[in-house]
Amino acid sequence: MITIPYLTALTTYFSYGLLFAFGQIRDLFRKILDWWSADNLQGYAPICLGLEDFYIRRLYLRIQDCFGRPIASAPDAWIDVVERYSNDNNKTLKRTTNINRCLNLGSYNYLGFAASDEYCTPRVFRSLETFSASTCSTCVDGGTTVLHNELEECVAKFVGKPAAVVFGMGYVTNSAILPVLIGKGGLIISDSLNHNSIVNGARGSGATIRVFLHNTPSHLEEVLREQIAEGQPRTHRPWKKIIVVVEGIYSMEGELCKLPEIIAVCKKYKAYTYLDEAHSIGAVGKTGRGVCELLGVDTADVDIMMGTFTKSFGSCGGYIAGSKELIQYLKYTCPAHLYATSISPPAAQQIISAIKVILGEDGSSRGAQKLARIRENSNFFRSELQKMGFEVLGDNDSPIMPIMLYNPAKIPAFSRECLKQNVAIVTVAFPATPLLLARARICISAAHTKEDLIKALEVISQVGDLVGIKYFPAEPKKQQEEDGRLKLD
Amino acid sequence: MSKLYVHAAPPTDLNKNTEWFMYPGVWTTYILILFFSWLLVLSLFGCTPGMAWTIVNLCHFAVTYHFFHWKKGTPFAEDQGIYNRLTWWEQIDNGKQLTRNRKFLTVVPVVLYLIASHTTDYQHPMLALNTLAVFILVVAKFPNMHKVRIFGINADH
Repeated sequence: MITIPYLTALTTYFSYGLLFAFGQIRDLFRKILDWWSADNLQGYAPICLGLEDFYIRRLYLRIQDCFGRPIASAPDAWIDVVERYSNDNNKTLKRTTNINRCLNLGSYNYLGFAASDEYCTPRVFRSLETFSASTCSTCVDGGTTVLHNELEECVAKFVGKPAAVVFGMGYVTNSAILPVLIGKGGLIISDSLNHNSIVNGARGSGATIRVFLHNTPSHLEEVLREQIAEGQPRTHRPWKKIIVVVEGIYSMEGELCKLPEIIAVCKKYKAYTYLDEAHSIGAVGKTGRGVCELLGVDTADVDIMMGTFTKSFGSCGGYIAGSKELIQYLKYTCPAHLYATSISPPAAQQIISAIKVILGEDGSSRGAQKLARIRENSNFFRSELQKMGFEVLGDNDSPIMPIMLYNPAKIPAFSRECLKQNVAIVTVAFPATPLLLARARICISAAHTKEDLIKALEVISQVGDLVGIKYFPAEPKKQQEEDGRLKLD
Repeated sequence: MSKLYVHAAPPTDLNKNTEWFMYPGVWTTYILILFFSWLLVLSLFGCTPGMAWTIVNLCHFAVTYHFFHWKKGTPFAEDQGIYNRLTWWEQIDNGKQLTRNRKFLTVVPVVLYLIASHTTDYQHPMLALNTLAVFILVVAKFPNMHKVRIFGINADH
């Protein structure tokens, strides 16, 4: 549930209408001018229809400098951002050799493993010397090293399932597994705000897709009842399989999934559950084991648990954890296991070392410290932002906090002003989010110190006043008034 | 300035081209745009109010016919062209007919027609043009016209 000030909604629609109108007028003139000049197509058909890339040409390119900024260092708490300039109003951007050292509020660096770590990095270098940078083979042919087997056991033990299989890329894990698990005659019910990889995998599977209102178990029950009663489209035969796909933490909202209620509904109607823990594994829960631990759900109740290693473990790749029979089946059928190169050995070693640190098996308490620090940092930052009057989404304990911007003009304004003050923030607009609800997304890390967070709060408060995004009334500063009265006495 | 807030739950529409129409505030913005464009026409051309309403009605006809019933597909490529054969009117509400949004969009041209013809006192050239506009717009929005291409106009090759 998002609370939008009514006037802001009206002005946002009007702004997008104006941008759309200007884009259409410019396209019209471009078409007229191109009609007079000869085309260089030489008889071939054009690559894309003019209307398909309208959004990119007329809206995205105008604020292109806010996206895709090249970086020149590891994505630690502070990051080097390369400066760019444009001579033709942002249609093309040229890199300079200047570098700005900025506070990094955009990387998924939840536990601080993104930069050099005293336990992980020496071991990664050793594995690089032993196994080299790539296995140069698929998992089935010659690409399964002892590291891969150790990694799969490690992940299965960490997540709390009997077995796991690991892939080289996180996006591919979703989009190549869903077509293998379910096919034509099956039903996939997915949350309306699921990630693009799940949507892609679901579309590629050939199953029927139904969507339920975001995080609303009652609507999920309604959809399940309706679909089970109706059966397959046209033939009305019973569905071969029903899979319900939800995420642990939604990356654009920072909200936790209502897992216990959803599992209860799925068990009642005998549907399988698929939990995508890309953002929650390693970042939430007392020992970092994800939403199941945080919400008190038994891992045996979730049928398929998926996650990625890019966020909390500072590596790359994804995993699927489930029962032994399921993993065995996936190893025989999944194209990502049979035809894609296996995960790079140094990356695998980084994950194994990171898991050891989190569990405290390296002999120190750094893992527990990191988990406690990210929880403190997130709760502190979120409460301070809310006190200043920003509209911040997300639940407590979640390290992702989107700040709502709404108007399309505030997106580049917020992004550029923050960059001028050396704070690197990621802004997200259409089509990753709904048209109205553009936002600036902040990812807190365990590597951020208190001073970093206070500096970030000052900059964001200043820029927020300048851009005008403090949509809620700010809490009055009671502390200062009391101090003033004491001083008078 | 009283701060009015509205609550919005994200709708279950997978088509990003039409999903924005299900949020609160769209209807009000539409009506306000029509009203302000009437004021703009009045101030630019200095004509009678009835003539201004006629101009607004005809421009509204041209713009909404082009964008709702002529242009097909979506302005971005992420959906890989699954809506390339459908106009915006056929895409909204996932193809379901007679929803609240569709009823509102059908009523707006009729109300504009009534205002335009009343303020021009039903005089001859304006009345014919206004009637033609409302006739075409309302017929294009009938449920029976879903995915119908008359004489193959605007059909795919």
